Amino acid sequence: MIMNKAENEPMPATDGSSSGAAIAVDDVSIIFGEGDNAFVAVDRVSAEIAAGEFICIVGPSGCGKSTLLNAVAGLEQVSSGQILVGGAEVTGPSAQRGMVFQQPALFPWKTVRENVAYGPRMAGLSDAEAGSIADELLEMVGLAAFGAKRPQTLSGGMQQRVAIARALANTPDVLLMDEPFGALDAQTRAMMQENLLQIWHKVGITVVFVTHDIDEAIFLADRILVMSAGPGRFVQEISVGIDRPRTPEIALDPRFVEIKRQSLEIIRRESTRAFEQQLKSAM
Amino acid sequence: MADAGNNDGAVKAATKETAAKGIWRDGALNRLVLAGSLPLFFGLWELVSRSGVVNIILFPPPSTVLVAIVDWMQDGQLLIDFGMSVSRVVVGFVVGAVLGAVIGILTGRYRLISSLLSPIFQLLRPIPPIAFVPIVILWFGLGEIGKYFLVVWGVFFTVWIAAHLGVQRVDEKLIRAARVLGTPEKRMLREVLLPGALPYIFVGLRTSVSISFYTLVAAELAGTFAGLAYRIDIAQQNLQMGQMMGGLVMLGVISAAADKLFAIFAEKAVWWS
Repeated sequence: MIMNKAENEPMPATDGSSSGAAIAVDDVSIIFGEGDNAFVAVDRVSAEIAAGEFICIVGPSGCGKSTLLNAVAGLEQVSSGQILVGGAEVTGPSAQRGMVFQQPALFPWKTVRENVAYGPRMAGLSDAEAGSIADELLEMVGLAAFGAKRPQTLSGGMQQRVAIARALANTPDVLLMDEPFGALDAQTRAMMQENLLQIWHKVGITVVFVTHDIDEAIFLADRILVMSAGPGRFVQEISVGIDRPRTPEIALDPRFVEIKRQSLEIIRRESTRAFEQQLKSAM
Repeated sequence: MADAGNNDGAVKAATKETAAKGIWRDGALNRLVLAGSLPLFFGLWELVSRSGVVNIILFPPPSTVLVAIVDWMQDGQLLIDFGMSVSRVVVGFVVGAVLGAVIGILTGRYRLISSLLSPIFQLLRPIPPIAFVPIVILWFGLGEIGKYFLVVWGVFFTVWIAAHLGVQRVDEKLIRAARVLGTPEKRMLREVLLPGALPYIFVGLRTSVSISFYTLVAAELAGTFAGLAYRIDIAQQNLQMGQMMGGLVMLGVISAAADKLFAIFAEKAVWWS
């Protein structure tokens, strides 16, 4: 029942050529405000993401990574350029692009099961059909026993699992995640990361995951896009290339350490540059 | 950021709870005082009335008031008065609440409707229902419609503004989540905005329960043939002090009971807030 949409369609090329990309961000700028107050959040960014790929976007806070993700979700308008998902231009939110926010944002008036069943119900499925999809997904995120509970009685980590299950219930083509584990404690976060990789492996979905945590990005991603602030741009692309399945021990892998060293250097350089730029514009 | 704020709030709430437990540590003593509260009030009242300090005719003791209430009950008039008053409150409350909630959701959601109606409502809202009594008598005579009108007037604006603000205060995160989950625009109202606004609407509704009772008094003083406030008015003309105070007690008991009942209902209806 739950499976990767991509498996039903002609397999897109994974070499990142524009025709086969699951997500194509083409020369996108996002500008807030007008005239003298205009603020360039995202500045002429391009990227291509293959179907089934796990991408992390890292960067300092305020670099526009969440804004870009929102634009892919259709919650934010691009000022120029275009975003294609599955070859179609993004013009607004769609159930085909699942999203998980930093806050679980579960509907407090619905039970856990009703929350997960929400998307399928909106898609026109009967309550029974939507409910059985919800049961399957709750099983997958390990919360089968919690369907009848109210979301606010669950811990932060469990709520976020429900939010992931809810996003996946629409069998979306891509899963967009905006610092979903940022509010969790370190132990819970580590557990959630492993859990997410298992789910990703099972569903085979394309994931774009925004974080400011380098370790998290290296642990999760196939490819890391490093973004700089002021204005938001991709400054580096890193292929992680660490074997899967990954365990927390990979943090000791020389490859992991090397990537971390490299990306920290870039981020430090970029942060310093952005900071000096801010100082200059403030004077 | 937002989450840090939440944690902060939780910590504060927990501290407050501990502090509260400290104050209320002596549960037994507290229960005793609670049980003694009303007897103390009525006892003091009885004492003061009979002490000779005040005129016992003008300030009858609770025992006299109780006799008056029993008399009122025995000739069946209390039931009629009670029924008339409650029916006015219920009809006026329900009509005012439904109108207020529906229109409030519409003005809260749709800018154009708000631009059309909000200025009018803001102008009418501050007019106290009591000020309408003279004109209501001319419009509707002494019949029930005029009574309903006054209660509706009292309830409508409170519920309207609660629903209007409630819809606008629905958590933006939930609306965004609903949008990415594929909620069609026309279902957004029913699926997210209405349940999201419901806790606010219920605050307005509960306030309106009290409002409908005090509007009832104005409505019955405007002239009628039965009702609790009407009975107080008639008793005054006959200088039946016991009956008058009995009427006040009944009004107090009924509106307190209505408030309590509504609170229980609200807890069930908006259990998540």
